Amino acid sequence: MKKSSFLLLITVLCLSVVLAACSNNSGNSNSNSSNKSNSENTSNESSLSNAAKEDNEAKPVKLSILAWNNEKEMKPVIDGFTEKYPHITFDFQFAPPVTDYIAKLQTMLLSDTAPDIFIIAAENRNEIIDGGYALDLTDEPFMKVMLDSNKPMLSKDGRTYAFTQTGWAGGLFYNKELFQQAGITQLPETWDEFIEACLKLKEAGIIPLYDRMHDITIIHSAMFGSNVLSKDPTFDEKLFKGETTFAEGWTEVLTMWKEGLIDNKILTPDMIGLTSDQVLNEFSLGNVAMFPGGPWNIPTIEQTNPDLQFEIMPIPGKEPGNKYYNGAPGVGFAINSKTKNKDEAMLFLEYMTTHEGLKQFEEGTGGIITVHGYDSTVHPAYEPAYRDGLIAGKIYLPMVSWDRHQEALRNQFLVSIQDIAVNKITPEEATASLDNKLKEMENK
Amino acid sequence: MVKFVRQLQFQLFLLPILAIYSLFTIYPLIKSFFLSFTNFDGYTKIYDFVGLKNYARIFVDDAITSAITYTIFFTFGKAILVTILAIPLALILDQKFLTRNIQRAIFFFPTIPSGLLLAYIWGFILAPIGSGILNTVLREVFNMGPQPWLSDPLLAKLSTIVVATWAVTGWHAVLYLAFLQSIPKDYYEAASIDGANRLQQIRFITIPLLAPAMTVSVMLLLTGGLKVFEIPFALTKGGPGYETYSITQVIVQRGISETQYGLASAMSFVFFLIVLTIAIFQVTVMQRRERDLQ
Repeated sequence: MKKSSFLLLITVLCLSVVLAACSNNSGNSNSNSSNKSNSENTSNESSLSNAAKEDNEAKPVKLSILAWNNEKEMKPVIDGFTEKYPHITFDFQFAPPVTDYIAKLQTMLLSDTAPDIFIIAAENRNEIIDGGYALDLTDEPFMKVMLDSNKPMLSKDGRTYAFTQTGWAGGLFYNKELFQQAGITQLPETWDEFIEACLKLKEAGIIPLYDRMHDITIIHSAMFGSNVLSKDPTFDEKLFKGETTFAEGWTEVLTMWKEGLIDNKILTPDMIGLTSDQVLNEFSLGNVAMFPGGPWNIPTIEQTNPDLQFEIMPIPGKEPGNKYYNGAPGVGFAINSKTKNKDEAMLFLEYMTTHEGLKQFEEGTGGIITVHGYDSTVHPAYEPAYRDGLIAGKIYLPMVSWDRHQEALRNQFLVSIQDIAVNKITPEEATASLDNKLKEMENK
Repeated sequence: MVKFVRQLQFQLFLLPILAIYSLFTIYPLIKSFFLSFTNFDGYTKIYDFVGLKNYARIFVDDAITSAITYTIFFTFGKAILVTILAIPLALILDQKFLTRNIQRAIFFFPTIPSGLLLAYIWGFILAPIGSGILNTVLREVFNMGPQPWLSDPLLAKLSTIVVATWAVTGWHAVLYLAFLQSIPKDYYEAASIDGANRLQQIRFITIPLLAPAMTVSVMLLLTGGLKVFEIPFALTKGGPGYETYSITQVIVQRGISETQYGLASAMSFVFFLIVLTIAIFQVTVMQRRERDLQ
């Protein structure tokens, strides 16, 4: 009995040692499959890079990527790339944006297991760049196609650490038929006209607007753009230098929002409990006239109700002519500064800047390409946001524009607007709490 | 000596689990205690000691004070409701009737899927708009207007408790059922000969003999309740405002989203002490009650 239990123990221990030893190398074991076609890819990409030629003789390489888009969305661009460079294969990983992605990447970076290519988003840019986790791409030749307006979000001190080929703008989607039913013939030019339009819809028995109030909403960002930034484009810069306060910039915006939308019961606290799917569904079915959304919502709307007549519109400011969208550059592809496959990773980024790579990316992800020399085709319902928002640069997103402590401020913001919505605090108290939060974070 | 050697060979089998427990529980606990005195941000490996600064910040944080209130309300609300419902349910499921096994399975089922999944489904049922399932039923049957189940501060708190109770009552009923079946039938026979009716039997035999089950069940409910995360998170994301923020959600928010690991570690450590104190207090009190009852 005694003997056999010792034997069992020893067997288990031995087995676990063997298993542990196996697991270390499993990552590299199956990259041989792409070896076969080394000699086949000599022909056509002379223009791209010297590294490509060298790699024809080089060993097979497995590039790891932690993508922001899922495998189906990334497939066209990855297939296009691996067709061109058959010796490179991908270890594809995906984490859903935003929180899950950020948390997963953070764990990987801290434990030195981060992939060769990862994403820099507004939410993690400070930590990634300050931590020295991403390679400086500023002087890479392929970066010249990137729009200058897309660079600040992915840069620090004039150096750019990631490449983005996309941008996005969000606004209010409205149902054209319901607007007609309520007798609204012209889109609102000022905030007061917008509130009037909402009240007209309400009178006609139509729910004017659904907003979940689960973030710094599209309405808030765009209102800040049309009322504050249109007068002072450097407001956020001053805010983080301590030259101005949230109270000075945001109190008016939040007061307008409260008096217009909350006090008139256009937005009601019960909307806080809605999910984004429910809002989208209600709009698609014609149960609500407007909802704040972006290009990512269009396919679902069309799928749910192909006959719906809808379009996107901006949020007007107090004075006519100041109309803004909420929006920012898309997330950027960065290269791990500790990568062992730097050349291949560069090759992938370079491929994404080519016309072919951009087209594949556009097809796969449905993203809106904002790159020099590439005309993106957008959905007709989205045309106003593309033309008057993205191309005209009338977009604003606090998470990109705020210099520090974005997450802490974002959380404080959303708690504050929910508290305003349930009439627990005033706009003045809300901005004071934001100023306090900023002070607390600066002194931590 | 022989006895010692014999014991030692059994102890050896505990080594793997001891290693796992140390690696995944003891080590992180010690590490986060250490980190709670630093300004570690979760990214850079260079950080400074800041002394007790993080601990001082905990008690001036609106979110944490609100979260402690909500978490305690949730924990005790759920523990009381589950206990009130699970014991009668166990008594019913202990009877002989045709669909007994399938009923046991049905009541047990909600504990199998993850809380997150259940809460998302309940999100549709409790949707605050007129087309929400519960609101539709209320309108059709009672002609009531839509209720803001998840966005009114009080209703949101109650909704999370109801969903959590629904999810675990079956599991706790099965726990009570196991203890019920170990009560010797002789007691009931003796009692009925003495003229005790069914209610008196429950009052004087079943409930006292279920006391050990109650100790275990309540302890699990309290510690589980204090650690609650997924059900309120999936239902309300902590809203409106900080109304349904749980302590764990604040820790995740401060630590991961806002990259203040030092502060989050300090919160975790204080939280650990709170759970420990409540658990020790509860077990001591309920064990004394067991002795008194028996």
